[in-house]
Amino acid sequence: MASHAQAQKWSFRITPIRVLLLLLSAVATAIIIYRLVTGLGTVTNLNDEWPWGLWIGFDVLCGVALAGGGYGTALIVHVLHRDYFHPIARSAMLTSLIGYLLVMAGLFLDIGQWFNFWRPFVSWGHSSVLFEVFWCVSCYTTVQILEFGEIATERVGKRFHNIFKAALPVLMIVGIIFPTLHQSSLGALYLLMVDKLYPLWWSPIIFLFFLMSSFFVGPAMICVETTLAGKAYDHWIPIPVLRKLIRISGYAMIVYLVLKIFDLANRGVFNLVFSGTFEANMFLIEMIFGIIIPIFICFSNFSASRSGLFTFGLLVSLGVVLNRMNVVITGMIRSTGVSYVPSLAEFTVSAGLVAMGVLAYCFIVENFRILEHEEHHGHAA
Amino acid sequence: MSKGVLVDLTKCVGCGSCTVACKLYNDTKWDEKQPTVGPNVKLSDKNWTVVKFHEVKDKEGRPVWRFVKQQCFHCKEPACASACFAKAFQKTKEGPVIYYPHLCVGCRYCMVACPFNVPKYEWEKPFPLVTKCMMCSNKVAKGEAPACVSVCPAGVFKYGDREELLKEAKAIIAKDPKYVKHIFGEQEVGGTEWIYISDIPFEQLGFKTNVTKRPLPSYTAAYMHATPYVGIAWGVVLTGLYHYTKRRNQIAKENNKNIKA
Amino acid sequence: MQNQVAKEKERQMTRRGFLKMMGGIGLAGITATIAGCSTDPAGGKGWMPQQYQVASSFPVQVKGRVPIDPANPSITRDDKKCVLCGQCVEVCQRVQTVYGYYELPIKNDITCVNCGQCTLWCPTAAITERDDIDKVVKALADKNMHVVVQTAPATRVALGEEFGMAPGTFVEGKQVAALKKLGFDAVFDTNFSADLTIFEEGTELIKRISGQIHEPLPQFTSCCPGWVKFCEYFYPDLLPHMSTCKSPQQMLGALIKTYYAKEKGISPDKIFSVSIMPCTAKKFEAARPEMNSVDKHAKKTELRDVDVILTTRELARLIKSKGIDLNSLQDEKYDSLMGESTSAGLIFGVTGGVMEAAIRSSYFLITKQEPPEALLNLTPIRGLKGCKEAAVDIPGVGTVKVAVVHGLSNARPVLEAVRKKEAPWHFIEFMGCPGGCIGGGGQPRTSLPPSDQVRQARIDSIYNADAHIYAKRKSYENKEVLALYQKFLENPNSHLAHELLHTHYTDRSKLLTVKKDA
Repeated sequence: MASHAQAQKWSFRITPIRVLLLLLSAVATAIIIYRLVTGLGTVTNLNDEWPWGLWIGFDVLCGVALAGGGYGTALIVHVLHRDYFHPIARSAMLTSLIGYLLVMAGLFLDIGQWFNFWRPFVSWGHSSVLFEVFWCVSCYTTVQILEFGEIATERVGKRFHNIFKAALPVLMIVGIIFPTLHQSSLGALYLLMVDKLYPLWWSPIIFLFFLMSSFFVGPAMICVETTLAGKAYDHWIPIPVLRKLIRISGYAMIVYLVLKIFDLANRGVFNLVFSGTFEANMFLIEMIFGIIIPIFICFSNFSASRSGLFTFGLLVSLGVVLNRMNVVITGMIRSTGVSYVPSLAEFTVSAGLVAMGVLAYCFIVENFRILEHEEHHGHAA
Repeated sequence: MSKGVLVDLTKCVGCGSCTVACKLYNDTKWDEKQPTVGPNVKLSDKNWTVVKFHEVKDKEGRPVWRFVKQQCFHCKEPACASACFAKAFQKTKEGPVIYYPHLCVGCRYCMVACPFNVPKYEWEKPFPLVTKCMMCSNKVAKGEAPACVSVCPAGVFKYGDREELLKEAKAIIAKDPKYVKHIFGEQEVGGTEWIYISDIPFEQLGFKTNVTKRPLPSYTAAYMHATPYVGIAWGVVLTGLYHYTKRRNQIAKENNKNIKA
Repeated sequence: MQNQVAKEKERQMTRRGFLKMMGGIGLAGITATIAGCSTDPAGGKGWMPQQYQVASSFPVQVKGRVPIDPANPSITRDDKKCVLCGQCVEVCQRVQTVYGYYELPIKNDITCVNCGQCTLWCPTAAITERDDIDKVVKALADKNMHVVVQTAPATRVALGEEFGMAPGTFVEGKQVAALKKLGFDAVFDTNFSADLTIFEEGTELIKRISGQIHEPLPQFTSCCPGWVKFCEYFYPDLLPHMSTCKSPQQMLGALIKTYYAKEKGISPDKIFSVSIMPCTAKKFEAARPEMNSVDKHAKKTELRDVDVILTTRELARLIKSKGIDLNSLQDEKYDSLMGESTSAGLIFGVTGGVMEAAIRSSYFLITKQEPPEALLNLTPIRGLKGCKEAAVDIPGVGTVKVAVVHGLSNARPVLEAVRKKEAPWHFIEFMGCPGGCIGGGGQPRTSLPPSDQVRQARIDSIYNADAHIYAKRKSYENKEVLALYQKFLENPNSHLAHELLHTHYTDRSKLLTVKKDA
């Protein structure tokens, strides 16, 4: 079998969509280089009123949240040993790894002194939530790369495979601790913005909301991803597996919803929800389409169909994206006093990063045993 | 005891000496598009302090002109310093909140975290840094007043021990009925080294008065303290679960085998 | 084959290693150069005025500066040049007693009498007059505009300094020549309207003394707009003492767009009127809302009596910008109709001059006799002493007591005395700037702070012209003024004279809280 793998050539199919993605990546790369040389002011619409914009909101906050599927799956499959969900484990973790690498890239782009990115490793601002995020994301990405090492060494550097395999349980556990901490910390970043972030989003337990949403968005992303991958590679994860998985999400979302209502009522700002303001409407969209409707889908028969799973996945994922963007942009407009519309270059770079992620995913799926892994596993067992 | 500045807004005539002194001491550049005194001034990477003109009504409803010097308030417990993950912002024991450019990564969390939007960024530079009033920390360390304070011809400022100044401010507003009964900076975000008194309500002069009275770092302090313990505890729980579920599955498998056998 | 693979791998590793190394060097280099190897906190290291380019220790003598309203019509400041030396505060507070003489908080005004002394004291020329040259250049280029100019008495003894001449050099004829060369259609002399002022103000004084009008004595002169605004701010209760006469500059302005327009047959809205003044406060004066008698007279709207005031310094810049060398010009004469003047009008430019000119004419107007020689050299009210007094016997009236004050700090004790009804005088001349108009805020900058030496040189030049150059020394000998009365105004203080040549004042005390114990 080993010789078979070695003989296999590296493959990467070229389709019209991939050409488009490659083009997008190329344009984004050009903008990225230009930005790194000339600074942020020339490329972005950021200013003193809006120091954080699309790149932090989408590339980083959404990226981390959406890539959160990896640790949830790892928790379910590798720690709780729910082998039932094994078929999705590798692809979920691959999405997660690529997601985190993109987050790192996004962060790197957004920092002004990018050559100084290593500074917090030696100059410890340990009172900062961002310090925790920085360390956790760095460590977790490293762990994820090591985790991927187990898959990679199936094909390249095979003599290390056993070492990786042996280390995997430890890596898995460490790889769950870090995301748990930093997913919540990304929310905790906003604890300081008590007088700036609109009260519908600011909360003393905002970190809990971030953590929970990053947990329940995992299965949702897996639904989206497996549907797309299924179409592309004709590899379908059984519906019951996915349905059982999103049930976990569903329960988490009910808890999330109850906690959110309790939190709003507790702080006496529940009336703001129906105040008809721009913020209130955005909040309602986020809650209704991102939480309430998906809960109904989850526990109805609709979720027994592929389209139901896909709808659920899409709504929850977009709901979390909207939540993160609301925190970074919508909720800050009022205190800032001026509005912010990202520049075309910002959009292009964000889209380009996603394009790179999709291409990397396709490449790895086509060259490593990500999707068919379980079949082998199943046959072997 | 930390040093502070008491600003009596009733005494300002709007000459802008302080803004010139700031430029002369910190060697920040003049920008025609960004004046330092007037109705439309803003703090910027080049203007660490500005004097903003306000036309307001006094207690009798007559129009009056007031000038408000803006700069970093130098919080007693600064959000920027607690937000910085590389310790580029630090609170000195003398009072100033200072910035070490060589430590800065450029993430701008300080700018988002600052309740008064004081830190500004050198957006047009390829490798921008964060800038803000340093309260002339070099001078303060030597026991001298900041540059802006020392050039005021109208006696707007008083430099000294912050707690002494607070006592003095309280005495002034208690004695003179023209002042509003509020010392800005006494309690805002847990107190600032620069404190202001005024005869016009602060919110009419562009002050952000609806800020919390709790020091902002306290919002994250508990969270950060808990983090390592949560991390360790979570690790222990996960390891326990790992071994427990693995063993359970094994037993289940063995049972299955036994039954089969 | 195995070997080959291994070798290839080795090569790859080295390539990667090389790239890594280069990247590392690059990053280290960028870090070192951009962040600098400095680990100091941000912020200043010392006092650093831009001309020095090196941080020095903090100067103990910095004092800040006076506030200047951005809308101030007279003066403006370039922040980039300011070094906070405090000279403006020094002159404004100590010499002019304006800054620091009002209580804080301020109301809705930045107290300023527009005298422009700060522009003379400012060592870096950060404070300057508001530059109005462009407006004049534009008007001169406009073929449809008839551009008329008048020159104040004091500019002719100072303009030469801008062209390398000694202080006090008398350049009356060269100034006229330069103005004609610049393209002005008519050049008139403010001395003419100074003579006219003597008729109007003298008549008013006689009427006050004789009780024909019920206004208090002493009468205050009103030629100096800085002084007028000072009185409006700090002594509004004494405004009834102020002569209702406009300044000579505004009188001539009003006549240019009425009398001259009529005589020449030009529509007043086609006339652009410029005044060359030693003074920045004139810019404020010309902008006062009530200085629109032409407007009312001609029933046209939006007409100002005077359109632009240029200071002596601005005129010098204008002349230089056109490549004209004042030194090489041949003297020329003022245009007729309002170009004739006597030296009584000329001495308006120095402290005591208005008073001396008034006494010369009053003597004649009351007694119908030529004044004695002593009254033509009234030395007690000449010179740079802050407050000067004289008593003049005029047959039929008795002893007329007069006082002369220049520099606003000297005005305060006199005004306090008037307020307490302890003032023995009938007539007081006030000039805002030390030395009078020859030391005006619009005059060429000299040594810092402005010295009495230069002031004295300019004063000497005026009195020399009074004694030796001018043919006539008494205002009532001015033929063109007499013609003006005959053809247009009828007689002094007539209805039309009141409409065009007199004004009223504004109580400005509501704009500030005057310091009681100043």
